[in-house]
Amino acid sequence: MSSEADKSAKCTLCPAGCRMALVKAAPRGAALRLGEPVRLEYPTQIGSGICPRGSAIGELLTHRRRILAAGSRAAAGNGSRRHIDLPKAAREIVRACGRGVTVVLDGNIPCEQLAEAAGWVRSWQGAKICFAIEPADEQLLLGLEASGTEYLAADKISECDGYLIVGDVFSANPTLAKGVLDRYESESKTPIVVIDAAGGKASKFATHVVSVSPGAICEAVGAVAAAAGVDVAAPSAGEFSSAVGAGKAIAACKRLGVLIAAEYGRSASWRQIGFVAGRLAKARGGAAAPETAGMNALAAVRLAPKLGAVDMAEALSGGGLVVVGCDLLGMLGLPKMDVVAAAAALPNRTTDAAAFVLPMAMPGEYGGTYLAPGRQPERVAGLVPAPAGVPNPCKVVASLASAAGASKPDIGSAVAGPDARDRLEVDAPAPAGACADCDPPVLLFARQAAEAGRGELTSHATYQRAIQPLPEAKISPAMAARLNLKNLSVARIEAGGRSLQARLRVLPETPDGVVVLPESCPQARALNPLSVDGKTGAFSTGPVSCSISI
Amino acid sequence: MSQEMQKRVLIDMDRCIECGSCAAACYFSHGNMPIVNTADAGVALLPIICRQCKSASCVDACPAEAMIRDDNGVVRRRLFRCIGCGSCAKACPFGVLPSELGGLPAGYRSTERLSGHQIAKCDLCEDVTCGDADAVPRCVAACPAGALTFADEHEAPKAKLVVYGGRTTGESPYKRRVGAAAR
Repeated sequence: MSSEADKSAKCTLCPAGCRMALVKAAPRGAALRLGEPVRLEYPTQIGSGICPRGSAIGELLTHRRRILAAGSRAAAGNGSRRHIDLPKAAREIVRACGRGVTVVLDGNIPCEQLAEAAGWVRSWQGAKICFAIEPADEQLLLGLEASGTEYLAADKISECDGYLIVGDVFSANPTLAKGVLDRYESESKTPIVVIDAAGGKASKFATHVVSVSPGAICEAVGAVAAAAGVDVAAPSAGEFSSAVGAGKAIAACKRLGVLIAAEYGRSASWRQIGFVAGRLAKARGGAAAPETAGMNALAAVRLAPKLGAVDMAEALSGGGLVVVGCDLLGMLGLPKMDVVAAAAALPNRTTDAAAFVLPMAMPGEYGGTYLAPGRQPERVAGLVPAPAGVPNPCKVVASLASAAGASKPDIGSAVAGPDARDRLEVDAPAPAGACADCDPPVLLFARQAAEAGRGELTSHATYQRAIQPLPEAKISPAMAARLNLKNLSVARIEAGGRSLQARLRVLPETPDGVVVLPESCPQARALNPLSVDGKTGAFSTGPVSCSISI
Repeated sequence: MSQEMQKRVLIDMDRCIECGSCAAACYFSHGNMPIVNTADAGVALLPIICRQCKSASCVDACPAEAMIRDDNGVVRRRLFRCIGCGSCAKACPFGVLPSELGGLPAGYRSTERLSGHQIAKCDLCEDVTCGDADAVPRCVAACPAGALTFADEHEAPKAKLVVYGGRTTGESPYKRRVGAAAR
């Protein structure tokens, strides 16, 4: 099954962009059929990577739960869904939406599809479009764009002479570790400063760990910058004694690498964090590497204003919500929402809530141009064509717009569109206020190497289901002893009036007073849902208190 | 034909970021019979990989001659001879061979299929490594951090690695680094 075309097939689930090749797990004829096992083949070079997220794509392409036909709950009349053909579904969706339609389109699709879908929506009367990426990622990227810092390419990581790591970047993008550790191996005095209130994987490799209370990331980055002699106008709160040594360690850096993962529910001020971290990187001759959930998040942020896309808060204020390619409810941690239609490759919380469900191609089945931070736009090919009758995300939008009477956009100019390489001109964010302390135990979320985004795709893979049948809640041994909790026992975590069953993992690297849940679990996110911040107008949330009971 | 495996999968514990890429690569490429698993070893979650012992206890212990050293020098299991008795797992001095589901993450092996009752065994991905001197097992290829290498253990000191059994550590383990920073 591997061919010349496959050579440019890449995993687009994170900015690493690992190369993929597909093979049949069992030779059962020439054509690829649903239910027939296929898998990814692994690179022959040591350290070329492909993490559990990318590994799962091969299996997911022919997953038995694939959505292959449109379904209507209204047509069935009893709460279940009845299959209807795609053109009829499009007409009924347009009718159900009425005058105002908001298309929330996954931002992690190729630039050509973003441009073409926006073109269709422009000619669709009363419709607006929003490119959906993780709200924390979006705010982080806006802050970095405003800071004027350069972006750090993965192959340049080892050229940095010091690192500031915010969050569990090694789980967000496992390929980063090689560059950092290669540098450390060749130059053992390289400072590795880590700010992570959840004590993620990167903390283990730190030369300097900055002790930070949950939510005070911006203050900690500011304190490190101040100790390094860089004025970044960050809010100050309390004392960061551990930041002084860390700041001094990176003060002499001539090329500082700032690696950031904007994890869910960690802070309400990611834009400010991005700005402060970017200014610090720039002042130390370095660059920033934002580890977003998806390869094309930077392009989506840059293209959104140029293509007339609205922000998430405005999108959700309107009616007639059509979600294409992302698990919106899972992303925002919301338990329910009125969704007219949802297009997805595999079932998720949004398709469960939608009145109409549409089939859609998944990563690996379409190609196009992607822009990973620090790299030139690159052409990524699909591994295999989508199953017959399953449209790509742009075609889903096109079919709905056509049903509403929209005229075909000028594809030539729309595809060429604005250039995602152009930096976004955004103002510096207003200084964020100091974070409010909350009583322990504090609920934090951390990214996982095994799951991508909200887990809407990868959680269907057998490996992911096997290793984590229940979400894992990481706690410190001290907290376990205090609350008489045992490792691997099942506990109930409660916050915000909701609860979740999780398997406890007592890990020494977890700081005391925090409970760390995977951000890829929508049920976990629902314990601390995002809401629109009155000051910034963006979806955000900071850490909250929680309780644990057996 | 060599009767002794020259190359082994070496783990540099100073580089392992516990991402599970090795275990996933093994899982997805070996159906539902993965052998590379991650085990909770105190503060770290480390992959457990067969050491390909020179004098393999599992081969001696197998009553069905399912566990053999093949023509390539790889200690491997013959699928259709394995009766799932667990003798090899009990004989393994390193606890690499899983004898029961309890020692593994739940659902790691199917209990519904015959293969779920058989003992999984690392074959060093012979389908790709046999006949290609540059090819490496899939767990090694997948490792994004460069923690796994497929090399002659005698080459480990050149890379400043100290070999303990089949495992290696660098000369300055991260725990010492963190300890030094704290002091």
